[in-house]
Amino acid sequence: MTFAPIFRRFALAYGTGFALIYVIARARGLALLTVYPSFGIVLLGMHRSRDVADPAMDFLAPEMWWYGWTATAALGALVIGSLATLCPARWARWFWPGWVWVAPVLAMMACVYLTIPWFRQ
Amino acid sequence: MATALLILHGLVAVALLGAITHQTLAAWTPSSARTRSFFGRFRAVQPAGYANAVVGLYVGTALLGAVVYLYFEVDIQPGLERDRHWHALGFFDLKEDFVAIGFGLLPAYWISWRRPFAGERGRTGAALTTILGFIVWWSFLVGHVVNDIMGFGS
Repeated sequence: MTFAPIFRRFALAYGTGFALIYVIARARGLALLTVYPSFGIVLLGMHRSRDVADPAMDFLAPEMWWYGWTATAALGALVIGSLATLCPARWARWFWPGWVWVAPVLAMMACVYLTIPWFRQ
Repeated sequence: MATALLILHGLVAVALLGAITHQTLAAWTPSSARTRSFFGRFRAVQPAGYANAVVGLYVGTALLGAVVYLYFEVDIQPGLERDRHWHALGFFDLKEDFVAIGFGLLPAYWISWRRPFAGERGRTGAALTTILGFIVWWSFLVGHVVNDIMGFGS
């Protein structure tokens, strides 16, 4: 087996998996890490300033989860992509390549839905 | 430092915007090299030749943006919240999400231009390019509006 078909399977699974896992991580708060840019601190997992200290801390120490969501999606997609390379080649015929662009479009629509609270303020 | 990074981020984004726009139009409406119109010449490029450049520029722009985002969160966002620019913050949130999703598409995008998927006649590559093009245009416009918001509409 040559490199190209294996990488193709990896890329298809990675792209589809990344989009879906990102939305799940975004919706369910599954950040691999939390960044506190004011202090230059990075913590593993999802943390909220107001949960560990005074609610006012949320303003004083804003936390960032985008890096964590992206890391969660990248890691999850890496696992899915790696598993796809281990599957027999004939299984790939059952996977429609169009999922690699349909999944991100659906994920982007889900992100629009998750962002609606900003527009209701 | 933040200003220099933001300017560099914007400059790399301009190059990415040009490359992805050329490629998207060439993928959907290819034109002959002998066309005389500006629009025709704009489309008369080999779209596959842009794949490496788009991947490199996307990664570079996203990484620079990820660094600048740290400054944004500390220095800019509190001011936008104080002035109740909720729509701008919502659009910026979408920019973050779209850029991350586009980042995950890069391997499939790259391989689809290097070796088109069997039975797809290049449609997967064109579709992925269109999605990336939308993400890049969205990010560029939202980034500019948020960057200029204290003058824009205030």
